[in-house]
Amino acid sequence: MNTHSTRRQFAKFSGLSLLGAAASGWLPSMAARAAQASKPTSRKCILLWMSGGPSQMETFDPKPDHENGGPTKAIDTSVPGIRISENLPQVAKVMQHLAPIRSMSTKEGDHTRATNFMHTGYLPQGPIRYPTLGSFLSKELIDRSCDLPSFVSVNPFRAFSPAAYGPGFLGPSWSPLVVNSSMTGDEDNRDVSFEVSNLKPPRNVTSAQADARMQMLASLEHDFLKDRPGAPGRSHVESYQQAVRMMNSAAVGAFNLDSEDDTLRDAYGRNPFGQGCLLARRLIENGVSFVEVNLSGADGAGGGAGWDTHQDNFDAVKNLCGVLDPAYATLMNDLSQRGLLEDTLVIWMGEFGRTPAINENTGRDHWPKSWSTVLGGAGVKTGQAYGATSVDGTEVSENPVIVQTLMATICNALEIDHETTNLSNVGRPIPLADHGSSSIEGLL
Amino acid sequence: MRRRPPHFAILLCCGLLTVLRASVADERTGESTPATDDSVQAVAQLVDGILQQSWQAEIVTPAAPATDEEFIRRLYLDLAGRIPAVSEAREFLADKSPNKRLAVVEQLLSSPGFVRHFTTVLRNALIPQATSQPQFRSLIPGFDAWLWEHIAKGSSYDTIVRSIIASELNLNNGPALASTTSPDAFFAVRELKPENLAAGTARAFLGVRLDCAQCHDHPFDMWTQQQFWNMAAFYSGFSRPEDEDEANPAMMNITEQTASRSIKMAGADAMIPAVFLTGTQPEWEQQGDRSPRQILADWIVDENNPWFAKMAVNRVWAQFFGRGIVDPVDDFSDNNPPSHPEVLQLLADDFVAHDYDLKRLVRVIAATQAYQLSGRQTHESQTEPAHFARAVLRGLTPEQFFDSLAEAVGFYQPFRSDNPFVVDTNSPRARFVDLFRGSAESPLERETTILQALAMMNGEFIDNATSLEDSRTLKAVVDFPAMTREEKLNTLFLAALSRSPTAAEQQRFGDYLKSGGVENDERAAMADVFWVLLNSSEFLLNH
Repeated sequence: MNTHSTRRQFAKFSGLSLLGAAASGWLPSMAARAAQASKPTSRKCILLWMSGGPSQMETFDPKPDHENGGPTKAIDTSVPGIRISENLPQVAKVMQHLAPIRSMSTKEGDHTRATNFMHTGYLPQGPIRYPTLGSFLSKELIDRSCDLPSFVSVNPFRAFSPAAYGPGFLGPSWSPLVVNSSMTGDEDNRDVSFEVSNLKPPRNVTSAQADARMQMLASLEHDFLKDRPGAPGRSHVESYQQAVRMMNSAAVGAFNLDSEDDTLRDAYGRNPFGQGCLLARRLIENGVSFVEVNLSGADGAGGGAGWDTHQDNFDAVKNLCGVLDPAYATLMNDLSQRGLLEDTLVIWMGEFGRTPAINENTGRDHWPKSWSTVLGGAGVKTGQAYGATSVDGTEVSENPVIVQTLMATICNALEIDHETTNLSNVGRPIPLADHGSSSIEGLL
Repeated sequence: MRRRPPHFAILLCCGLLTVLRASVADERTGESTPATDDSVQAVAQLVDGILQQSWQAEIVTPAAPATDEEFIRRLYLDLAGRIPAVSEAREFLADKSPNKRLAVVEQLLSSPGFVRHFTTVLRNALIPQATSQPQFRSLIPGFDAWLWEHIAKGSSYDTIVRSIIASELNLNNGPALASTTSPDAFFAVRELKPENLAAGTARAFLGVRLDCAQCHDHPFDMWTQQQFWNMAAFYSGFSRPEDEDEANPAMMNITEQTASRSIKMAGADAMIPAVFLTGTQPEWEQQGDRSPRQILADWIVDENNPWFAKMAVNRVWAQFFGRGIVDPVDDFSDNNPPSHPEVLQLLADDFVAHDYDLKRLVRVIAATQAYQLSGRQTHESQTEPAHFARAVLRGLTPEQFFDSLAEAVGFYQPFRSDNPFVVDTNSPRARFVDLFRGSAESPLERETTILQALAMMNGEFIDNATSLEDSRTLKAVVDFPAMTREEKLNTLFLAALSRSPTAAEQQRFGDYLKSGGVENDERAAMADVFWVLLNSSEFLLNH
């Protein structure tokens, strides 16, 4: 009797039980999902989310010649004419891959509502539960041959608004796989790793036994759920299927960063965000459609919402940029060198910008009226800055961009028709980007 | 993994024997004395009458009544926060008395499980930040201990709420704020900021979402920015040093001027006075030296407050149905009308008339036919949860889930009643609660994550619980010589699902056991079956 199952032996079990499950029809919704024609695109997306609302003046829209600009200096970039904050020297060198949008104007200055708005394209209202970007985009982009979940979220900070990070009315099959980093080593020699726990069956369970268990579970689920409709049951069955698929896939190796060159790992930065960006590249390479990586803290810059710099803005943003700059620049270079950039859209944004006027605590408060986001890759016309703000930063002076427009642009850069609709929980079809929006012409 | 004491296996088996002998079981009936309060029944019938009318109007066919097996599992989860033990389920199922459902409600209402479960539920509702934000975790034990005392001694709901809002804060206590038996965590998670306290008070006790009105007039509702600050003014006594580091709000640096009755609105110069949400001004002169917080507490729990009682009954209703009559439970507004306003009014009136007695409210809800409907859908019209025409699938709280898992597998959980402040963050319970804390806003949208599935399939805890060497329940069943294969299977089903297998399941699983499963070992096959039951959605969900 075989008491120790190996990965290879175990692989047999998943295929069998999945087939068995599909054949017995215990999962009609999965079957329906598989039958949907997926879009013939190979586009992918990485969202670098800056939780708390990053200051545009200390990142992509410095104002060194105005008192609102504070002490932040501007530096030249690889693109003549575009100058960004001195906090981002490495990013400056990859400006040819980026297109800062300096004219975001969004009217929502509350963390919860703005986080929702920027993550879904819609303001939270009434009973409609809008899906997050990663959910509705991965639904269009999904690569069905990929054994990993189509949407992975790295170190999310969900306290402002849990709903902004969920699949909403699209349902549980479009939830992200959430992975959190763990820190290892001592202070001088710190390392970061990502591990998906419990990927291997218990040692004493043989592959045949595991297989039999899944078969019995499938029949039990079928009997119980056939006249008990509802999201919780559906979600349970689907997550087991995805879990089994992952258990048996070589693609889970993507989570192990050890095989990467040390120099490259150092270049990304040995911190949760830097290594998260490296993980994002590896996941994209392995067929994952959407990866969100959150940056919400750095040494000397607060906890959950580090970019929320009401106090001591200049030091805090400098510290955060110390994490952002190498990670972001290395990611762009790495994607480019591997030929992945043409198909991968990289979005940099937070929920809003910061007040141009500096407050009495040397801080900047919430400011949705004129702020910056950045796009890169996936055929975006990079190497240009889109839109502009007034000399004092308080107004958009050129080409204002609203959230709906940004969403349409993101969809179109990913070769998705932004007017594609999904049926919402209230029975109303909801387009990916709100009605009447169109993408930014100059960028695509 | 901690184990139950050795005598547990014996107890379990004795329980089985008792019930296996039908005569003994018969003798046990009629032992319990149900407290049949006619007025509870009367109100429950009125609620059912209203629901039936709405079903007729909407052409809804309700589900069949729940079987005893469905009922007992659901009731234990909703009242005691866990599934019934095998012996408890057997005892109830064998009971022939017509009043046994009422009797078990009474029994559970006076059990420690009720106190524990309601403490968790109420804490999560009142200080949600304590679970969502790690820096506030340390506030949980003190708050829980305080709530626990109140619920255990049967304090009325208005007493509890008044005690929170008007609490005499021990501001000088500093870091020790976390380790006192007090409601102070309500203030601490809101960082003693008048704005946060105004929004939190309105939401937690009135179901009114003022939050957005802080910065601007509420876009979809009646609330103005002025009203928000009118509410915040009741908490305006708290002030903090100007130079305080926002990242580390030091509670001990905050002082309270209990005479303060107005507040400066952010971004404006005018001082905004304290005014109730209904627009009435407090009559300060008649209040003597009572503080604005005490006066606010009076107004909130007053029987004429338009929201307080309705919000409370709505919350408890949602706990039993997975959905509020107003849903989300804390969103009372013109844009979010109640599905059954008459039920809400009726329950609120009864709640007020009986001095905000939470246990009576639970008795009424548990006595309704609506609560005692089956989860099995027999007609399409039962799909809409707002009809309350079927017991829909709903998620458990992570605490309910782990306590049920512990019950099913015979995992001994020490409870330190002597010192609730001892919290082992690395205990299996703490780890499961962390992993199973959902992000869904409603239990009807609960999602199983891939990481949860992996933990249940492959994790150490379930591995031990389904191991012939390590699992208490499994061992007690497998090695019990006097039980037939069918009885063993039946016991495993009762342990996990609180029901016996159906004929088809008896056949299917029985055959698997008989064949010895894939390992040609009936004992190993027994472990397979137990694993299957624990991994099922039937086990993971309430229904």
